[in-house]
Amino acid sequence: MQKLLKTEWLKLKHYNAFIVLSSFFALGVFTTNYIVFTVNKNIVGKINTAGLVSSFNPYDFTKTWQTTSYATGWLLILPALLLIILVTNEFTYRTNRQNIIDGWSRQEFISVKIALAVITALATTLLVIITALVFGLFSGTSFSLNGFSHVGFFLLKALSYNLLAVLISVWIRRTGFAIGLYFIYLGAENIISQLLDVWSLKLRADNNIDLGSMGDYLPMNASDGLLTFPDNPLKSITKANLPTDYTWLVVIMAIVYVVLFYYLSRRRIVNTDL
Amino acid sequence: MEILTVENLSKNYGNVKALKGVSFSVPAGTVFGILGPNGSGKTTLLGIVMDVLKASGGGYKLFGETPTNDHRKQMGTLLETPNFYHYLSAVQNLKIAAAIKGRGLDDIERVLEVVNLSNRKNSKFSTYSLGMKQRLAIGAALLGNPDVLVFDEPTNGLDPVGIAEIRELIKKLSQQGKTIIMASHLLDEVEKVCTHVAILKLGTLITHGDVNEILVNEDMVEVSSPDLQQLKNVLQQMSGTTKVDIADKVVRVFFPAGTSDLGAINQFCFNNGIVISHLQLKKKSLESKFFELTN
Repeated sequence: MQKLLKTEWLKLKHYNAFIVLSSFFALGVFTTNYIVFTVNKNIVGKINTAGLVSSFNPYDFTKTWQTTSYATGWLLILPALLLIILVTNEFTYRTNRQNIIDGWSRQEFISVKIALAVITALATTLLVIITALVFGLFSGTSFSLNGFSHVGFFLLKALSYNLLAVLISVWIRRTGFAIGLYFIYLGAENIISQLLDVWSLKLRADNNIDLGSMGDYLPMNASDGLLTFPDNPLKSITKANLPTDYTWLVVIMAIVYVVLFYYLSRRRIVNTDL
Repeated sequence: MEILTVENLSKNYGNVKALKGVSFSVPAGTVFGILGPNGSGKTTLLGIVMDVLKASGGGYKLFGETPTNDHRKQMGTLLETPNFYHYLSAVQNLKIAAAIKGRGLDDIERVLEVVNLSNRKNSKFSTYSLGMKQRLAIGAALLGNPDVLVFDEPTNGLDPVGIAEIRELIKKLSQQGKTIIMASHLLDEVEKVCTHVAILKLGTLITHGDVNEILVNEDMVEVSSPDLQQLKNVLQQMSGTTKVDIADKVVRVFFPAGTSDLGAINQFCFNNGIVISHLQLKKKSLESKFFELTN
């Protein structure tokens, strides 16, 4: 695998889109969290002084892991976009064929793309850890690993976004169509998810049936649903009326979806004409 | 040893049958031409052998064994189009090809020299002309000096000088004992460089074998004199001919394979009061044979 990744790096290191999108993402992570940090400090912080909401700072230690993971989660579309471009480029330039002709197996070709998606997810997660640490330390609270599980949820979300990007790329093969379909899918799933969530609320209220937030059981919303903004005291009051968060179930489903994305991508490359 | 053995290979695209049970083998050390008009299945066949297409039926062997990735690493292949990363230079692209083939980087300069691209080696692939792209693809196939080369339409996009250079290169590689499998619709090209040939038509193998065995089924003698019509009339009276016609300012006289006698023709004409200015034995051209077979 190390050999395959070294070859993949030869393709990447001189690619401008890779450098630009990676830089945008890194800058975006810092900027987004800085905005959330500043808004909270200057607006929510002032409410706090009025005594309406007591002692809520989302970048305090224990909360910084969750807040940074949640805020950065919104930017995961950028690495996914990059992956779509990188994978569909192979089909556009027909280098996918050349790689096989030159001696890679089809399994090796898809493995290195999946590895790229996983490495990208790990790199973004590392960025989240660093950002959470920096903002946490600036909040003036003392270091704690409580709530670090949210970083794990972030990794799961990054894997979902990246592997869906690979899956759509190997099925659609054309950059424009693949990017279009990716956005359409995310939007469509979100709408369906919200309808399912409303249904879940209705079931709970009318029939006292608690199936959890069913919108979270869809492929992308599974990992999305795991990442939430830390509850402020006001939200906690309303929480009692919401369906139960079956976190363990959602985690399992998110993992199953990631494995499914891998399986379908592999099947496409290994079994069909390139 | 057989480098490639194709056994009853077939490929369907929906209702279209691109290959219909094709079988043949390529002996080591030959220049094997796969000939056929556009859409006859040449590239499909090579695509299956290179594992970029899936066969619908039948199979193939490389080096007498069940094909693996390592077999492909031992071959240099240009299939259909030059496939490179547009944003990378020739050298950067060849580094990727070398890494996949498991070859060292020390051969890159040599192959760039062979295909005359040394002076543009650091230019991006996207800035190359069609001919330069084709030459780079041939250079990539030569990386690591493999013993087997597969060229699909190798002179596509090249100017006349480039075409001549590539033909010379193929001949030179053949003299070094390499096996070359070359698909082409350019009959002239195959005739000039191939030792063996397989002819495909609409996915069906029409014939295959030694070029000389396939082509030499008729002798054609070109004869010329100032009055072609008179010459033709005289030669039609000669015994042993199968056909006499006029084409391209010469009279063509056909005999069953191996029966033509230039001295006898000369004597016959002289005895009938005609002094001939041109007399040459030619094999029946591959082109005429090809049209005869595929039409």
